[in-house]
Amino acid sequence: MKSVKLGTGLAFWGDSLRPAIDMVERADIQYLCCDHLAELTMSILSKQKSRKPDLGYTTDIIPFLRGVLPRCHERGIKIISNSGGSNPEACAEKVIELCRELGFHGMKVATVTGDDIMDRIDDLLEEGIELANIDTGQQLSDIRDKVTQANVYIGCDGIVEALEQGADIVICGRVTDAALYLGPMRHELGWAADDWQSLGAGTGVAHCIECGGQASGGLYSGGWQDMNSLSSLGYPVTEVFENGEATLSKTPQTGGAVTVGTVSEQLVYEVLDPANYLTADVVSDVSQIKLDQVGPDQVHIHNVKGKPAPETLKVNMGYRAGFVGEAQFTYTWPDAVKKAKAGLAFLNERLEQVDFQSTHTRVEYLGHNSMWGPEVSDPPEDPELEELVVRFAARCPTKEEAQKVFTESVPLYNNGPAGASGIGTRPPIKELYGIWPCLIPRELITIKTTVTEVTA
Amino acid sequence: MTLRVWDLAHGRSGDKGDICNIGLIARSDEAYKILCQQVTSERLQDHFGELIKGDVDRYELPNINALNFVCKGALDGGGTLSLRSDHLGKVMYTWLLRMELDDE
Repeated sequence: MKSVKLGTGLAFWGDSLRPAIDMVERADIQYLCCDHLAELTMSILSKQKSRKPDLGYTTDIIPFLRGVLPRCHERGIKIISNSGGSNPEACAEKVIELCRELGFHGMKVATVTGDDIMDRIDDLLEEGIELANIDTGQQLSDIRDKVTQANVYIGCDGIVEALEQGADIVICGRVTDAALYLGPMRHELGWAADDWQSLGAGTGVAHCIECGGQASGGLYSGGWQDMNSLSSLGYPVTEVFENGEATLSKTPQTGGAVTVGTVSEQLVYEVLDPANYLTADVVSDVSQIKLDQVGPDQVHIHNVKGKPAPETLKVNMGYRAGFVGEAQFTYTWPDAVKKAKAGLAFLNERLEQVDFQSTHTRVEYLGHNSMWGPEVSDPPEDPELEELVVRFAARCPTKEEAQKVFTESVPLYNNGPAGASGIGTRPPIKELYGIWPCLIPRELITIKTTVTEVTA
Repeated sequence: MTLRVWDLAHGRSGDKGDICNIGLIARSDEAYKILCQQVTSERLQDHFGELIKGDVDRYELPNINALNFVCKGALDGGGTLSLRSDHLGKVMYTWLLRMELDDE
């Protein structure tokens, strides 16, 4: 039976380069698929592009390619990446420059665009496309003037086109994570764009591997004590067969493990209704998935189904949503809890004195309830407590307001209740971006693929 | 001994906007049956209290003995806006693992 061998290279912007380097050295793969984008990433990238027109892509692609490209070139491994972010053209230009520098003339670098609809929003609204928030039902007019970025999650059509034109490296913008894998599956296995069963099965497989080490022992809660060499974790290497079934393994001689347990945990990660996993290419049904351990570090994936692709595509817009100000301080025995509360009262009073404006505040006690907060568990009351760390955070309309939080916490060092420490240095003020999920009819989106050959 | 979800299952959680999904994987067929009976959406909602502001939907993946809980309004406005230290809900599942079950 025909098959294609896919390697997971990266799972997010900032991910370690080593698993991919190990993989291109030692694993039997034809494609290296790399996901660099998360919901917030697109907002960060669009901000960078607005400041400097040749930025707006995830810059980790360059050191990544510098590390893996020599072996990929030698072994004919193709690379599929969404590192283009908000600026696939600028990213591809840098990639071409790198190929030239490394002497890989004749390599073909493709860009896939068409996901960016920022300049079309007003026209779309005029045409009657509402772009209303699918989570809250709100109309776009509520935040229209704050929108900084609007990208459609596009499917794998552009990647398939690029591969058909012989591309060695494909640089995309906001394609779905699954498309990075489904593209080479369609290209190699000859699946039609409306072969819902195969596309659904392939998308289920892609979902299992797109988060890299999270399928091969990373984060595994079912038995982390038994995982060997997590610091040298191997990323997934997956053989996908023509019938949509797949065998998931990992790079030989690496840490971690591939078991039914590790793959099951990844399968349920960031899934809503498992019978209707929506993507731009297909609706995948993983609700009846079967996973079988077929060898050491080998799990066979089967019984995933597919249904026709949705008529609309998902758009994520990013919009400016204020700034966050934070302060952190520590009190010690005796009376750490009482002093912490007095310290908080001190901070709140000082903030009032400077007419502090915020829309939302939060108090967490690190080491006690910081992960769930006061909604779930109260701060400790133990008078013998050795230390207590307080974190105060506030969402503010302006940067100036957000800065007040740290500024007004500094006097805790000298003027507050006894025993304060750990205040640290002034943290950078973070701008917040809200995500606005909405829908657009798929026929309004045209994907464009451009292939460029690297010349001397 | 009190029986907890952790005795029967392991899990993982993550974010999608202001939704946190929590997956539980039972350690055996028998454990899966108990989880299906006892870990209902209502019980989960009681256990998390105010931390989850919206509805909770439960889905079953019977062939891998897994349950998936989709918790709306669970991330303080969503991963990019949340003031929570765990703004992506990475450890939300561990709070569910602590939930006590009825001993049968």
